[in-house]
Amino acid sequence: MTEPKPFVPGWGPVKVIFMACLLGTPMFWACAQQKGVKENTPEIVTPGKQTYTTETVVPGLDIPWGMAFLPGGSMLISEKSGTLIHFKDGKKTNVKDVPEVYFRGQGGLMDLELHPRYAENGWIYLSYSSQEGTGKGGNTAILRAKLEDDRLVDQQLLYKGVPNTTRGPHFGSRLEFGDDGMLYFSIGDRYNRDENPQDVTRDGGKIYRVRDDGTVPDDNPFVNQADAKKAIFSYGHRNPQGMAKHPDTGEIWVHEHGPRGGDEINIVAKGKNYGWPKITYGINYSGTKITDDTALPGMEQPFYYWVPSIAPSGMAFVTSDLYPEWKGNLLVGSLIFQYLERCVIENDKIAYREKLVPDIGRVRNVRQGPDGYIYVAVEGKGIIKIIPN
Amino acid sequence: MKEANLLLSCLALAFVGLVVMQSFKNRDINVTKDHLQPSALEASIQRGSVIYEGFCARCHMPSGEGVKSAFPPLAQSDYLLEKREESIRAVKYGQRGEIVVNGVTYNSIMSPMGLTNEEVADVMNYILNSWGNKSDAMVTVEEVAKVKKQTE
Repeated sequence: MTEPKPFVPGWGPVKVIFMACLLGTPMFWACAQQKGVKENTPEIVTPGKQTYTTETVVPGLDIPWGMAFLPGGSMLISEKSGTLIHFKDGKKTNVKDVPEVYFRGQGGLMDLELHPRYAENGWIYLSYSSQEGTGKGGNTAILRAKLEDDRLVDQQLLYKGVPNTTRGPHFGSRLEFGDDGMLYFSIGDRYNRDENPQDVTRDGGKIYRVRDDGTVPDDNPFVNQADAKKAIFSYGHRNPQGMAKHPDTGEIWVHEHGPRGGDEINIVAKGKNYGWPKITYGINYSGTKITDDTALPGMEQPFYYWVPSIAPSGMAFVTSDLYPEWKGNLLVGSLIFQYLERCVIENDKIAYREKLVPDIGRVRNVRQGPDGYIYVAVEGKGIIKIIPN
Repeated sequence: MKEANLLLSCLALAFVGLVVMQSFKNRDINVTKDHLQPSALEASIQRGSVIYEGFCARCHMPSGEGVKSAFPPLAQSDYLLEKREESIRAVKYGQRGEIVVNGVTYNSIMSPMGLTNEEVADVMNYILNSWGNKSDAMVTVEEVAKVKKQTE
């Protein structure tokens, strides 16, 4: 290491201007970050001693997005590229008659969810980017179907976001059933933050709530508002790629990608506005401001926010007895920092954050299987099982 | 006589100022503006900047610096500047497996973005001529069309 050279008086004006430019750039960025925005707290902890081992149960996957555990121990895995894999007895079979995906940017075959009464009715729910309808481009679609001899049969398109657009980012995609038997799902703002998230007459930047057959329940918040998209449950979201039902309260928790900084955890409530892009703790990728506001009347504050962004994907609560120390904790995958975040919640706050499986790769999804084990979907690797010591 | 000298000096100063301003204006894209109509390369770079923002900037960052140990840099990237065909292939079909960029090994997956050949050419021209990168040889739609998926 060499000592930095002290500033020498008598530098020519060119050097002074050069130095000012060098110093000015980071200062400008720092100023663009909003006042009072905290760095991620509490600071994440990487324990010295690991209390678990990992085992790759499904190797050789590219971008595994959805995981669904079928009765009998087999598993469905969706690859972003459009392949639906049935993994059974150590063997991968590509499911046939999967709906055609609109292959662009962040779109693809995305989440999977089983009906809460799957054993009785066999319904499997899928989200994917689709060119269905008119107009160039695509938008997020929700479909249900049944698996029969490794084919998707009885396909029913339940919802399709409009309009189609060739913009690549922000399809959302996560699916979850609530205790009310309703299907909740997310559609991202489709990279049109000025028009979509704050307008309930438009798709995008929303959490939706429909019956298991796709029809809109009478008690949805905007059913009586003319022109509104009646399936909307909450709005002002950016790109939610994590959704999980809280095991005790039954609330639907989501997390969403912020811009640069400002990833959020939100507990979604009927008809509420989560603020994007009117309020955010993030800034533009370029370092410029989006808004001066982090809070406004009529808009919900996040349960938690990350600055800098961790790029969250996948969300699960630990309920199993296999991890007594982790019971009730929230797990969130990080695409950018390539670990799984374990969050301990106390008094409605995140009291402790810990890094699990550090440097494992881009974590796209996390779920607790019916066997009680935690399964992590890692890009370029596969499905990893976390086994406690 | 004195007035003529002053006038000449002013003109000279104005000229220098104009040249400086012009060079500043072009510093981001490193293209010399020698006529009023944007050249085919300039137009492609302009279109490519929009593609870059929507499809690439999240991982490679707005100034092409990448993310340490996850996403390789594009700014001053030896891989991008020296391996033209491989770079086009990566943008067109995605990238997987180890690559070495500026001496650092990366092993992430970049999924294919579903871009048209024209969009691939545009974004290649943008990244080849931004953040200090420079390439006079324009990437054309025909060149992109010829790049085939690698059979492993």
